[in-house]
Amino acid sequence: MVAGASNRDALVRARELALAGLLGALGLLLPIGFHAFGWGGKIFLPMHLPVVVAGFLVSPATAVTLGVVVPFLSSVLTGMPPLAPPVAPLMALELAAKAGLASVLYRSLRLPMWAVLPAAIIADWAVLALAAWLAAGLFAIKAGAVQYIGTAVAVSLPGTILQVIAVPLTVLAIEKRVPRLRPTRREETG
Amino acid sequence: MPHHLDLYIRRESALHGLDPRAKVLAAVGFVAAVLLAPTRPSWPLGLLLMLLICATALARIPARVVCRRLLSLVVIIGMPFLLSRFGGEATRAAGEQFAVRSLLVAATFLVLLASTRAIVLLEVTERLPVVSVFGQLGEFILRGADLLAEEVVRTNRAWVLRAPSATLRVRLTGLTQASMSLLSRAAARSERVGAAMVLRGFQSKLPTATPTPLPRSHLLAGLLFALISLGLAGVGRWR
Repeated sequence: MVAGASNRDALVRARELALAGLLGALGLLLPIGFHAFGWGGKIFLPMHLPVVVAGFLVSPATAVTLGVVVPFLSSVLTGMPPLAPPVAPLMALELAAKAGLASVLYRSLRLPMWAVLPAAIIADWAVLALAAWLAAGLFAIKAGAVQYIGTAVAVSLPGTILQVIAVPLTVLAIEKRVPRLRPTRREETG
Repeated sequence: MPHHLDLYIRRESALHGLDPRAKVLAAVGFVAAVLLAPTRPSWPLGLLLMLLICATALARIPARVVCRRLLSLVVIIGMPFLLSRFGGEATRAAGEQFAVRSLLVAATFLVLLASTRAIVLLEVTERLPVVSVFGQLGEFILRGADLLAEEVVRTNRAWVLRAPSATLRVRLTGLTQASMSLLSRAAARSERVGAAMVLRGFQSKLPTATPTPLPRSHLLAGLLFALISLGLAGVGRWR
């Protein structure tokens, strides 16, 4: 019985790693595609899309890990986002918070998707605000965190709209194709 | 395993031949020195720049390649620097610090990444105690990126062959449908990959290769570079 549970855990973990790996790969390739079309990463936030989708499909720990890994790996492989100035670490914090919160709310607390996605986006903005406040203190910058957040949110508005449209559609399409990934279904079988 | 994404530049050089762990040690020491060195007087940062230029020359990486890659950071570094010019004395000094240190640290990472394969750096990460899980997931992502890149190339080839004169609207619709299909197939593929991993003996923990001992000469080289950098920063700060 213990061996059976251990095998099931291993299978769940293996599936999660494989799914997170493929979504992470999309997190690397999508920004390259967007840049090829000349669409700015800061405007459309292409790296956010697969990572947020992963937040709805994998456990919180894997979602947070994926959120941290993807910006750093992209930085190592393509040079963007840069490690210095520290854009990649900031994005890692943002994505980890966003995907982690989405996973906790959707998979652990089983809240509806329409409530989870705005909460995740607000968590992202909160992390940005905290980072801006810390940076302002560190570099003695007079402009406040509120102005920075206002600008960042306004610039990335098309990306936020894209997420609000694309993420639920994608998650629903994947859950339809792989029913095991639905949180309720997982509880029933687990 | 092929990798379509990398900043590696193939060369036969002493830096390319150095053990990646020694290079990471040297890079960490250098970055710490850049962050510690004062901006006024500017000679410590100037000497650190000379040291970095020597390392780039040793790696036989053309300076124009590093400069071209640094160009992509012009907006990210240049905008805050320019804005800081309109502030007070403290803001202007902070802007200078930000620009100089960012450029030096970015150039250091570029030289490290140009002389070391990304997959090798991930393998180094996998052996570190706290961040090993990041390295393992990173390897999965690299494998996934290879798979997806091949799929994108195949799709594009088929597209060019079947609809060479498609309008932009048709292309965009096709691109959206292909992306959705790619995501769904990725999820379905993960099921098969997961099952295959368990069949091959996966027990919730990925195996890591046994580390080879770091040659003493390589360790000394990395340590020496880090200590010289830190020494320069320390002397600059002390004086």
